[in-house]
Formats: sequence, structure tokens, C-alpha cells
Amino acid sequence: MELNILLQQIINGISLGGVYALEAVGFGIIFNILKFSNFSHSGVVAITAYFGFFISRYIYTHFLVTLIITTLAGGLIGVIIEKLIFRPIRLKGAPLTLFLVNSITAAMLVQQFFAATLGDDYYPYPVFMKQTSINIGNLTISKTYTLMLIISGLVLLLLTYVLKRTKVGIALRAASTDIRTPSLMGVNIDFVISVAFFIAGVLGGITGYLLGMTYSVDPFIGSMILKGIIAAIIGGMGSLGGGVIAGLLLGGAECLLIAEIGSSLTQIVIYSGIFVLLLIRPEGIAGKRYIIKA
Amino acid sequence: MEFYIKVLEITCLHTILVLGAYLMTGLTGLFSLGQGGFVSIGAYTASIAYLHFNVPFPMAILMAVLMGSAVGFVIGIPTLRLHRDYFLLVTFGFGEMVRAALLHLAQLTGGALGIAGIPKVVDLPMILVSILFITFLIYNLKRSRFGRNCIAIRDDELAASLMGINVYSHKMKVFILSSAITSYGGALYAFLIMFIEPNLFNWLESAKLIIITFVGGVNSITGAIIASVVYYSFGEFFRFVDVWRDVLLALAVLFVTIFRPGGIFGSWELSPKNLLRWRVKKD
Repeated sequence: MELNILLQQIINGISLGGVYALEAVGFGIIFNILKFSNFSHSGVVAITAYFGFFISRYIYTHFLVTLIITTLAGGLIGVIIEKLIFRPIRLKGAPLTLFLVNSITAAMLVQQFFAATLGDDYYPYPVFMKQTSINIGNLTISKTYTLMLIISGLVLLLLTYVLKRTKVGIALRAASTDIRTPSLMGVNIDFVISVAFFIAGVLGGITGYLLGMTYSVDPFIGSMILKGIIAAIIGGMGSLGGGVIAGLLLGGAECLLIAEIGSSLTQIVIYSGIFVLLLIRPEGIAGKRYIIKA
Repeated sequence: MEFYIKVLEITCLHTILVLGAYLMTGLTGLFSLGQGGFVSIGAYTASIAYLHFNVPFPMAILMAVLMGSAVGFVIGIPTLRLHRDYFLLVTFGFGEMVRAALLHLAQLTGGALGIAGIPKVVDLPMILVSILFITFLIYNLKRSRFGRNCIAIRDDELAASLMGINVYSHKMKVFILSSAITSYGGALYAFLIMFIEPNLFNWLESAKLIIITFVGGVNSITGAIIASVVYYSFGEFFRFVDVWRDVLLALAVLFVTIFRPGGIFGSWELSPKNLLRWRVKKD
């Protein structure tokens, strides 16, 4: 491979990886607190992708404004999903498997609903920029990808600030370690869980918007979240930083491999890689070994 | 009449797959999104053996089952020691990997075009006998010492291991058996539908198999079978609402899990004794 093509692919890969990182963090935040794999995150992504499309196409075409509206809508959807389908079973003390079942069901509900109503068409976002790429020497950098990278970076920095410095963030981290003790300390755990879902929803909203903008919106856009989930595992469940690193690695590896060996072999190589990684290092790149407590 | 038989055949075939998923989820609480991978492995192994290597039909089915179990064993080695969610995601990856591999090995599998021209060997009596046999097997397995150990693992893994139950080996045995049943279902599928392709079963279809067992009741084989028969026959009868049927299923599942977390049937089983008494045991 020539050097400039290689560089090109690496840049594309990192931008894609940025989105995977967002997905992984949105997924990991829920896993940290409630200890189940939240597949309904893909539902949030799909809904916001459509939402962003309709807003920017029919109501107000401005990149930043629509992005922010979509993001907030994503947060709201996250909270609604929590209140409607997770809170009832949480109050009944249902086993974790049931959370998993409900989250997969929610993902299925959203996907099939869109397939039934809007599935016949696909929906391209309006073009926000006149010039779609920047040229630096031999390199052509897509503006959308650059934007994706910048936004992912900013959001992750902001999230780090919220988690480390604000009161809610500290409560969130406390709840991640142990959900029962903070509630004895006077932390409103119901509220903290809602906040977690709100943050995850916000991340999902951004992901949905960016994915919809880069590709076009179809009912199966939510399944792209699965790459993010994979990044979360490779990074180590429960480690948000690990998820980010793994997301970037996965994005980069995917773009390079697709350019080199084609897309169907890439799938095989990536999944075998994960398989081997889990064999050698079951806790992921940065995760702590998950210990079952009585 | 022919139409009804067709519907019944497809419904019953899916019920075999649901039973395979039930065995795993109902007994040990493992949650696999890779059932589709095993269906494909079974279907492809049997039909390739039959068409390319002239293996007789029963031998081809046997080969599919052996292949499925072997793959289940290999997948199980690294994943069954891990936390449940890793298992879920690795099996998901496994399903996708099988799909990609089938697309890639085009000389053998026909790639995206799939394999056509498989003769229709499987008929309704054969599927019914299989279901009866598998149900009998699972029902007795559940009541055996092994099955009760597995249920202990499902309910509390730590407590079970402290009681001296070898969690890993129990999970492995159940997983292999479930893979075998699922590949068996896949092999029958190939010889029933007469056409297979890599996108036969995606992760959503795999997830549905498990979701259905939860609607019926994760403690009740009767519930799993009834839920599966209702769902799949409904889908065949109402082809025109095809996409909406999954929306309906999803809504039904959410309602059931929220209002009746144990599933519709809880842990009630259809048996002469229970029929005479006719009461639904509360969880």
C-alpha cells in the first residue's frame, strides 16, 4: 500500500473509530451501573438518526442547531426508555437476564417499527457544507469525517469533566462501584440512573446524527451500534477509557483491513481477533476482572 | 390443506430451534445471539455433504449435528468462563463470522447466491417426532440431577459453585447439546425449504428464539413451545403483516416482562397431573 493511501485510511479509520468510541462509552455507562448489556442503545441511535433527518430536512437546516436538538432529544429518549421498560422490572427486582431481554426487545421494536413504516426508502441528510473535502498535499480529508472526529473528541472531554468534577458525575461513579451503598448515603439512586440513561442517550443522539449524516438513514442503522458494543468489550467492560481506545483501534483496523483484504474477510479477521483476545485477556484491554459478589 | 401442512412444518421447525435456545437459556441462563450461526452451520454442512459428496441423508444430518457440537465446544472454551455478557457478545460475533465466512467461501457455499436444488426429504411426521424426542429429552434433563444443578447455576452462579457444582463443565455440556439441537434444526431446515443462503438467520432471528422462550416462561417447556407455535404460525398465516409481526412480538414481550416477569406460563408444565388439578403455580 502506498504511504498516502495508508495515511488516508488511517485518518478515515480514526474518524470512524471516534464514533465507535462514542457508542462504546454510551454503552459502557449503563453497563457500569446496571451491569447489563444495553442493546436498546441501538434504538436510541436509530430514532435520533431519523429525528435528525426530519428536523434538518424539513424544519431548520443548520448543522450545529440540529445537532444540539437531536442530541437533547436523544437524552430524552434514553430517559423515556428507562422509565418505560427498565424501571418497572428494576423495581420488581428482576434478574439481569430480563434486563437483557428487554433491551434487545426494545432494539428489535425500534428497528422493525422503522422497517414497517419508513423502510422502503432511504433518507440522505441535507448537505451542510459546500466543499466536502480538504486537500492537504496528497491527502484528501473528508470534512464530514473531520467533523465526526472533532465532535467525538469534544464530547468525550466534556463527559470526562462531568464524570470527574460534578456532583452528579461523582454519584454516577459511586453507583458504578456499588449501587446499594450510595443509596444508603442519601444519593437518589433513581435519579442517578435516569442521569446515566440521559448521558447515554445524549451520546446515542450524537452517534445517530453523525452516522445518519455520513451514511444515509435506514431502519438498520441501529445495528452499527454493535461495533461500539464490541469496542466496549475489547476495551474492558466498565472501563470507559478502554472503550475509547478500543473504539479507535477497531475503527482504524477496520478501515485498513477493508482497503487491503475486502469487507467479508475483514469481518472474519476482526471477530477471530476478538476471540483470541478474550482467550488471552478475558477482562479486555483496560478492564478489571469482573468478580461476582454474593 | 397443503398450505396448512406447510405452515405447520415451518412452525414446528422453528419450534425445534426454540427448544435448542430454551435448553441453554432455561437451564443455565446463558444468552446466545449466535444461534443463527449454528443453524447455518447445520444447514450448510448437511446440504454440502449431501450435494457435493453424495453422503446419504441420515449421515448428512448426523454430520451436521457433529459439526455443530464441535464448533460449540470450540466457541465454548474461551467464552463460558467469562461473565455472561461476554458470552452474549462473542456468540454474536460468532454468528456474524459464520455469515461472513459463508459469503467468502463462495466455491463451496455458493456465496451470496446460496445453495439451491436441495431435495425436500423432510416431512411433517419427521419434524413432529423430532420435537417429541427433543421435548422428552429436555423435560427429563431438567428433572435430573444434572438439570437441577444447571438451574442452580442459572439462579445463582456463586452459590452453585460453592455447593460443589462445576459451573464451567455444566455450562459446556448444555451449550454443546444446545448447539447440536440447533444444528439439527438447521439441517432439517435445509431439506425442508430446499434453499439456503448466508443471511438465513441474522442476530435478530437468534435473539427472537430466546425472547420467545421468555414470553412463554423461562421455567416452562410448555410455555416455550406454545409461544413459539403461536408466533411462527401467526407469521405464516398473516404474511401481509410480516414486518408488523415483529413489532407486535416486541410489544407483547415488553408487556409480559413488565407485568409478569416469570413469563405467561410461569413454571407451569403440561402434564396429566397438572391438567387434573388445573392450577397455575405462582412463581
